[in-house]
Amino acid sequence: MYFMRLRRCVGAVAKRKASNGSGLMAENTIALVSFVLTLMVFSYVLGDLPFIGILYRVAVYIFVGMTAAFTLVVSYEGVVLPYLQDIQNGETSWTTLGNSADIAIFFTALLFGLLLLLKPIRSLTWLTNSVYAVVIVVGAAVAVVGALTGTLFPVLQATVALPEDLSTDLSATMDTLIVFVGTMTALFYFHYQVRASGDRGGEQSPLSRGFRHIGKLFIVTALGAIYASAILSSLTILTERFSFLFRFGA
Amino acid sequence: MGRGSRVGMSAFVAFIVGVAAILSLLLGDNPALFGEQPGSDELARRLALPGDALLRLVVIIVAVSIVIGIANLLFAHIGRLAQRKFTSAVLLASFGFTIYWYVTRQGDTSLLEAVQVPIESSLAALLFLSLAQGGARVMQKRADIWGMLFVVVVLVVLLGSLPLAELAPVKTWSDWLMAVPVSAGARALLLGMALGAIVAGARALLGQDRSYRG
Repeated sequence: MYFMRLRRCVGAVAKRKASNGSGLMAENTIALVSFVLTLMVFSYVLGDLPFIGILYRVAVYIFVGMTAAFTLVVSYEGVVLPYLQDIQNGETSWTTLGNSADIAIFFTALLFGLLLLLKPIRSLTWLTNSVYAVVIVVGAAVAVVGALTGTLFPVLQATVALPEDLSTDLSATMDTLIVFVGTMTALFYFHYQVRASGDRGGEQSPLSRGFRHIGKLFIVTALGAIYASAILSSLTILTERFSFLFRFGA
Repeated sequence: MGRGSRVGMSAFVAFIVGVAAILSLLLGDNPALFGEQPGSDELARRLALPGDALLRLVVIIVAVSIVIGIANLLFAHIGRLAQRKFTSAVLLASFGFTIYWYVTRQGDTSLLEAVQVPIESSLAALLFLSLAQGGARVMQKRADIWGMLFVVVVLVVLLGSLPLAELAPVKTWSDWLMAVPVSAGARALLLGMALGAIVAGARALLGQDRSYRG
């Protein structure tokens, strides 16, 4: 079935090739390759059948090889090349410290990067670990500052902010109250605490259990909505792929 | 140098660099923190320098480590070629062809359109089947009040997204659900993640979490 449709597609492309210019030919080649690769990925649904099972794996390996190549290109073009060009130009500088400081930073970074290659030598592992330490703590510092200024403060501010027409619009007031209670109880749900009670180990207070149940209600609702959004997104992409397959196959 | 002192050395480097980075990122480039005093702009700019330099240093190290990682991937698959693994040859050919394409036809995105985009979107489309199957399994294994609530919310959001006039009341419910309870739950999840990130970051900065010891 696959091969019949493929032969028809190849035939259609060959006919179009003969009648149109090179621009359309390139477009048809792209469409044909897309068509074949889409079918190869969708062959996953058929399971591990002889000759069919390998198609999905081949598509995934093509994808991994290409992604690795694109990542390499982006790392070089987006990071290494601009810095390399900047340090060659004495008049430009990333910082106010001047071009010589830029050169020092660039070559220190390259040296640190090359130190990562010493990982297999046991006696020099501490050098590699020091480079990891620099990368991890700078990443941690960025994460802490980002979480504080980008998430924690804005979300807390939005949660405790009152609507402007508080006195007139009762439903808006109720909604604000529900959001506030929901956020606080859902946060409380993450915090597990028990009261020590003799030999039985510990038990939650009824108030704590009540708060946790309310919090769980909001978390389950949020997770359900996130799940539905993920289903909608993937369904949209699936529809687009089927539409492409039918358009190309027709 | 003994093992203990070498580990201590890494932790010391981590602490100094971490404190410099976090102070610089928090206080740098923010003259308002220092009031209307003369020279506050210059002070803020100078405080931003260590953070800026460290970020640039780390960005280049990460780029180099990506190159090392890709080289490792290629060597691993070259090693698998000796075991006659056909798929490794596919991966290496795909990698080589992409680099050749980039070198010879710079700026041409047709390879991306023909290969990368269809494979990525087809894999994303397959996710629908996995999600639907996963949802059905959850309902089979957890048929309690919370499972029911989960399914009801999923159905309301899905039905609310349909462009049908008959489903207008469901759309109203769905909109309210997204604006109020879902917003509250999502805010709590975001706050939990932010608090978790701060705690994990603080542990790394204080040397409590030494995952870099190897």
